[in-house]
Amino acid sequence: MAPPPSGPTQEDTASSAAASESPAPAAPAIKAPPPETPTAIRRRSYIVLSFWLLVVFLGLPFWWKTTTIYRADLPLDRMLEWADGKACRPAIPIQIAVHADSLQEEEANHLVRLAQHAIDDLNDFSGHHLRLQLAPRQDRPRESEQNPNSALSIHLKPGDATTAALDPYRAALDITYPLNSVPPLHSASSMLTTYIATELRSTFAEEQSIVSYLLSSSPTSKPAGLSPAVVEALEKRATRALRYAPTYHLTFSLFTDGPAPTTWDIDTAINEYMKPLLDVLGPIHNFTIDTQVQLYATPGVQSQTLTKDDLASFINAAEWPLSPSIGGAPTINFLTFIGNQTIGFPDSEGQTSQSWMIPQWGTVYLLSQPDTNSHVTKDALRQPMLTFGGHLLTLLGTPQSGSLPLRLSSLSRIRSADLLLRASDALGSLARLSRSLPSIAIPRNVADGVAKSIRHLEEACAGLGSSEALYHARIAEEEAERAFFEKSMVGQLYFPDEHKIAVYLPLLGPVTVPLVMGAIKEIKRLLQARKQRAQEAKDKKSQ
Amino acid sequence: MTFRGKAGIYAIAVLLRLVLFFAFPGLPDLLTGRVEISTPVTSFKRLEEGLFLYNHNVWPYDGGVYHQAPLLLPLFSLLPDSKSWPIFTPLLYILIDLLSADALVKIAASGEAGKSRLFTSPRRGKGSTGLVIAAAFLFNPLTIASCVGRTTSVFTNCAILYAIAKAVQGFSFHAMVALSFASYLSMYPVLLLPPLVLLAYDRRASQKTSVLKFSAVNVLVVAGCLSVLLGMSYALTGNSWEFLARTYGIQLTLTDLTPTVGLWWYFFIEMFDSFRSFFLALFWLHLASYVGGLSIRLRTQPLAALAVLLGIFSIFKPYPSISDASLFLGLFSLYTHLLPLMRYTYVASATLMYASFLGPAFYHLWIYAGSGNANFFYAITLVWSLGQSLLVSDLTFAVLRDEWEVERPEMVGKEAKQI
Repeated sequence: MAPPPSGPTQEDTASSAAASESPAPAAPAIKAPPPETPTAIRRRSYIVLSFWLLVVFLGLPFWWKTTTIYRADLPLDRMLEWADGKACRPAIPIQIAVHADSLQEEEANHLVRLAQHAIDDLNDFSGHHLRLQLAPRQDRPRESEQNPNSALSIHLKPGDATTAALDPYRAALDITYPLNSVPPLHSASSMLTTYIATELRSTFAEEQSIVSYLLSSSPTSKPAGLSPAVVEALEKRATRALRYAPTYHLTFSLFTDGPAPTTWDIDTAINEYMKPLLDVLGPIHNFTIDTQVQLYATPGVQSQTLTKDDLASFINAAEWPLSPSIGGAPTINFLTFIGNQTIGFPDSEGQTSQSWMIPQWGTVYLLSQPDTNSHVTKDALRQPMLTFGGHLLTLLGTPQSGSLPLRLSSLSRIRSADLLLRASDALGSLARLSRSLPSIAIPRNVADGVAKSIRHLEEACAGLGSSEALYHARIAEEEAERAFFEKSMVGQLYFPDEHKIAVYLPLLGPVTVPLVMGAIKEIKRLLQARKQRAQEAKDKKSQ
Repeated sequence: MTFRGKAGIYAIAVLLRLVLFFAFPGLPDLLTGRVEISTPVTSFKRLEEGLFLYNHNVWPYDGGVYHQAPLLLPLFSLLPDSKSWPIFTPLLYILIDLLSADALVKIAASGEAGKSRLFTSPRRGKGSTGLVIAAAFLFNPLTIASCVGRTTSVFTNCAILYAIAKAVQGFSFHAMVALSFASYLSMYPVLLLPPLVLLAYDRRASQKTSVLKFSAVNVLVVAGCLSVLLGMSYALTGNSWEFLARTYGIQLTLTDLTPTVGLWWYFFIEMFDSFRSFFLALFWLHLASYVGGLSIRLRTQPLAALAVLLGIFSIFKPYPSISDASLFLGLFSLYTHLLPLMRYTYVASATLMYASFLGPAFYHLWIYAGSGNANFFYAITLVWSLGQSLLVSDLTFAVLRDEWEVERPEMVGKEAKQI
């Protein structure tokens, strides 16, 4: 790489200068060359000096300035604390408002206290705990009673027997109780409080196990006694769900194996069946949507009845224009295939199903329709759309049990815990990286990203369980990832120190040799001249 | 040297250029596009782009293509439109070439190459006459190609030659102004200041003032001239200093990696990003490091120092072209009396010829035929630089040997080994 002529030219100028002054070896020893003239000696010193002045006063500062590595200060200890879970013990408090308007104030307070005790006795996992709270009495109708921070509200109503029912449209649990089961003011426990506690626990069981699974997979806490079956279910959920992204891109595709149908009422179908779901998911994710129709699409499997193995290869990835990944958002595919194929499983003879979900990818729905139909109506799309909606929730990692509002609120809590852990993890990796590679440059924006990430992590940790936690955790995760994957640092990861020799030596080596040799010669000469002068002075004295 | 002879050579040179310009209408544009002739900082095509923007009241550097000095723009916009009056631009370039040749003739006429104030060469009578030198410059294919390719380095070369001519005539002020123009246009000529000041000092009628005082005055002249020129550019480009980054900044940081005949582009394509700024500084320092040493060593012959420096610059500067080589060869022809002392003239000239024939072929293989890659062209530019550095070092050797033989007359004609 080094331009080879640089060496010769310089050496030539330097050494031909020497040639003109020093004895020519061609002349044998018989004829001793005349001594160098003082002017020639002085001139040579000046030349050597001029090169060295340039090296020392310009070369070295430039070298220092351009090759010192800028390492912004990172709060390494703090980052590692986050990664080790020392900075924040993730604990998700779940506020539950108890509405017991039919009870006396004191009675209600006592009931809540007892129920809280019962819950605390049942709970064995500290990362996730339920807090009961007596809601202020309100004479106004129910609409305004929802406290934004309470995940669930319990409505206690007197009735004939002890029953519990989840409200399918709101995050509410309706409990009826026989009048005599209300605990007297000084009793220590009662059937009703135990019932409430068990009921609540079963409502939040899935979320709790997911959270405890999340936390146990990080080094922070020991696995909280989960049964293998539960762990397996949780792992399945984790493999199905897509990685969290603030925005997802939904692609609705209509594929047919023939020339028809050519149109579909996808617009109204989405508006009618998907939109409501997307709207409630709004606080957690944004969605962008596109649709496409593809004719004469050959599936990867041609057989009439699809077996379980066929399902994996049904998608013709080579030919079907899927996953366009517009922008940076990950794509979720919803594919409606018009054909006469059916899914059959050997164990359930005769039974057929129409759709299947592909983990982290999307859903395929087989829609059979007469060939003559060139249009797919909104009504025909109803079932596929509802299936897609259900699968979308799974793909986003929503828990399976409970009513929709509850599932969504627990999704947002799970996601914030998840993001919190991910961000801490990224910070820890960055800290370890910067410790293990002392020569890696750390640009200022990385330090800024880390600071911002830690700030948001703190807020997220403090407010875990509330709606802002997700927002803060999201920013923290984004910043931490951006800091970790900083472009200028990634390049240096693979640049060991030994490479510097290969960078410096080819060019600087040939240049340095004449420079150093010249300097050594000059210094030698100066020392000799000094000695000689001292000798002369001595001689003079002795005379 | 008769006037008739000089006029004849000039007339033939003008005629030849006019024929090339107008008998082969595609030739100027073809040559303008060649990387060997047009570099990002001297290309005529880029100048036209800047000119178009300038004439339409757009900031000329906005396109990111034009990297040349701002004052070239009003000069070229004074010329009639090149589309309707295609004669004027060639005439300007031919005129510049003639001025350069004339400056060379003046330098030759002064005899500075053979006899300076502090040194008289025993071979001074054997040199070429000014006429031959002018002809060698004007009919050098490299000079003709740069003229027809209309690169703006022609202006720089003319300014440098003019500065040297004025310096040997003893007009130090004129020399410094001309050098300021050259530096303003291309930046690197500012490095020629020390030997040029020494040359002007030596050629003055009287040496009453000390060298230091004389240099200080001349440095101030150059600084003043440059600040006036830069100030005018500042006013011209909408009262902003942005143009500095777009002209000299490009040369300092080598932002445009267009291939040239030099050594920088390939090196900085391959360079690790984290070391880029260090090696940029190193390359520039390397370029500048020769100035001090050569000025001191060749103190007795400042003109030789200038010639050798120009040779070094045409090898090692960031965006060299064959036009820089033509300038060096022009000054080289002043030293034909030293040809017997040179050892590698045959090798060097053969290498240069080899490179100039194979260079375009290898570039074609890389860019158009696609059967070669960048290494082909880079290899041939290495050969080109090798040939030039052979010539430069040989000239240095000859100049020094010439001095040495005066010092040690008994060694004339004997073999001297370089150690």
